[in-house]
Amino acid sequence: MDIAPNADLEKFREEVAEFLDTAPTPEIREAGRKTTSVFGPFDQVMAWHRILHARGWSAPDWPVEHGGTGWSVEQRYVFAEEYQKRGLPPLLPNGLRMIGPLLMELGTPEQQARHLPGILSGEDYWTQGYSEPGAGSDLASLSTMAVPDGDDYVLNGSKIWTTYAHHANRMFLLVRTSREGRKQRGITFLLLDRMDLPGLEVRPIIGLDGAPEQCEVFFTDVRVPQANRVGAENDGWSVAKQLLKHERGGSAHSPMLRRRLEVARAVAAETPSGFGGSLADDPAFQRDLGELEAELASYEHFEKLAISGHPIAKDPAYPSLNKVMSSELTQRISVLMTRVVGLDGLADQREALHVGSEVEPLGGDLALVAMPYYLNSRATTIYAGTNEVQRDLVARTLRS
Amino acid sequence: MDFTFTEEQVLLRDTVTRSLERDYSFEARQAIARSERGWSPEVWARLVELGLTALPFPEAVGGLNGSIVDVVAVAEVFGAHLLVEPWVASVVLAGGVLAAVEDQDTLARIASGEAIGALAHEEGRGTPDPALITTTAERSGDGYALTGEKRVVLHGASADVLVVTARLDAGPAVFLVDPSAPAATGFTTVDGRRAAHLRFDATPATLLAADAEQLLREALDRALVVLAAEAVGATGELLRRTAEYASTREQFGVPIGTFQTVAHRLADMKIAYVKARSTLLYTTALTEAGRLGPQDVAVLKAQVGRLGRLVGEYAIQTHGGVGMTDELPIGHLHKRILAVDAMFGPADHHLRRLGAGLAWAPATTG
Repeated sequence: MDIAPNADLEKFREEVAEFLDTAPTPEIREAGRKTTSVFGPFDQVMAWHRILHARGWSAPDWPVEHGGTGWSVEQRYVFAEEYQKRGLPPLLPNGLRMIGPLLMELGTPEQQARHLPGILSGEDYWTQGYSEPGAGSDLASLSTMAVPDGDDYVLNGSKIWTTYAHHANRMFLLVRTSREGRKQRGITFLLLDRMDLPGLEVRPIIGLDGAPEQCEVFFTDVRVPQANRVGAENDGWSVAKQLLKHERGGSAHSPMLRRRLEVARAVAAETPSGFGGSLADDPAFQRDLGELEAELASYEHFEKLAISGHPIAKDPAYPSLNKVMSSELTQRISVLMTRVVGLDGLADQREALHVGSEVEPLGGDLALVAMPYYLNSRATTIYAGTNEVQRDLVARTLRS
Repeated sequence: MDFTFTEEQVLLRDTVTRSLERDYSFEARQAIARSERGWSPEVWARLVELGLTALPFPEAVGGLNGSIVDVVAVAEVFGAHLLVEPWVASVVLAGGVLAAVEDQDTLARIASGEAIGALAHEEGRGTPDPALITTTAERSGDGYALTGEKRVVLHGASADVLVVTARLDAGPAVFLVDPSAPAATGFTTVDGRRAAHLRFDATPATLLAADAEQLLREALDRALVVLAAEAVGATGELLRRTAEYASTREQFGVPIGTFQTVAHRLADMKIAYVKARSTLLYTTALTEAGRLGPQDVAVLKAQVGRLGRLVGEYAIQTHGGVGMTDELPIGHLHKRILAVDAMFGPADHHLRRLGAGLAWAPATTG
């Protein structure tokens, strides 16, 4: 075992810190303070994406030949730590962590050349079209049809939970190209290189937090070139499974959770408990905060083992273990945040949450985000394969 | 960063595992635990032969100069096999403190395995912090006299070397006491180890180190990493055995592990184990690098206690009626975890310390 920090890493930390202290605009910092989801305020997050790209740092996890940084795993973790310490809004995952890596693995050279640069630079935002009203956990029962016609497919049907589709200029989606045999066998993976196609309609869905984060997308005779297919026709299920690995794995998540917990601890020290002292002095609160500290530490340890290449990450159950741990910890921390702000969390502040809003927030920064973050976090155990499905997958690896 | 065992450490683990699989089946272990002595001199001799009593100590005392990683690698295996021999008492607890106070002569006897050591430290309902010791030491002639009660001293009634902590003037100090001197009430612990409550009543003692609070804290923190490794080893064994049982035990015509309720409980056991083991390995690496802090120890102790308990309780439930019997290792593995949790402050204590931010500034008595 070897955990020793080295001098080069500390030098790297300073370099990262200096950039992150100076590069973000005030609007980007404000967007960070007003982030209540994996998906932060769209315009500012994409602006920040382009600034990071100009520095060459938009995709630390990508291979160098596609525009990655070539950083070691330790460097990437340092970057994530410094990034989160400053409460900067995370870049959107769909391009960088999902369709980008997938195209590197399974896209044609033409598809790679056409799409990877825009993902890297932040010019393009890709929404994911997987779920349908009738196909959630049982994704393979999806029914949006794609019928070949000349060089195109003609699409009819609808997709739901397409995050930020109303902001997107690209979409990747699963469609049905055959009803023969096993339902997994008739699925095809397609890329839409524009969203203003005739017959395509996007309708935002207002979530529990009051934000139009999710959308529904309707297809009526929408034409898509067959050349935009990834993998073979009817082989989209294996393409999708490959992508799910990226979605469930992802990179270091614990630094963000660490920041959330530290803010909650700091605010608790200034919040009366109802027993005379501060909330931070209340033994019941201490016990619960301590449990989250310990759980977060274990998750950090798990993440560090995984990024260092420990066999724990080669366990077939690893993506599911990671997804369950990180989502449930996120939810528990979000509950603690609402507990700290108490009554202050009850004001519906969706207007004040807009970057550049004229509406003054009520209460402090934590009061502004705690309730919408809590409400939005209820989705973490639902999306990317519900935690029930993940537990099924973990159990399957345990049965001999 | 690298959190893997080296080839040598893997080899050592395999050697110890093979030896225990051969001579220390669960049935053999139960017979040993129920014997009059409560542990096996033959098994002990093999541990000595494998160098395991000498492992963590410097060469100057006949030790093998092994690292904390070596010790953790072995302790996980001992936990999985429910060892009742006095390795933890002698090598980890007594030996750990003797190494910290640099009592070379006594340490040489511990390292060679010829003497069994015991550490009399915890008092009352448990002593999570050395600053809380109330047993007192007073000067008496050329030496000292100790008064107080030490509880659940592993192998405390049968040790050859008795290391005792007591308050001398302002702070905790470390003493050596004739093992036959205190009044001992011996018993077997729920997890099958021999232990004793020891009563000191102006009992003569030799001072090994005064002003030993920091020294004790560091020695005990290291020992806790090893205790945690035993608990994690037992937790992994519970998971392995329960997954196997759920895959083969049939009810309603199918393996019970195919029922979603049972499957999800298995998944939760795996998640708990992975968390506990990740924290064990990370904390071990911190210890080796000399960067172990009180907060890290609190996290580790809390997690192996609470996550281990969860895995044990789920293992019993999944096994159903047979999980309730003394015949299966399941309950015994669970009890080993409960014992580790109860020693040196249970999970709740360490969690509250973490929540209060006290892990950085240890509590002191008034």
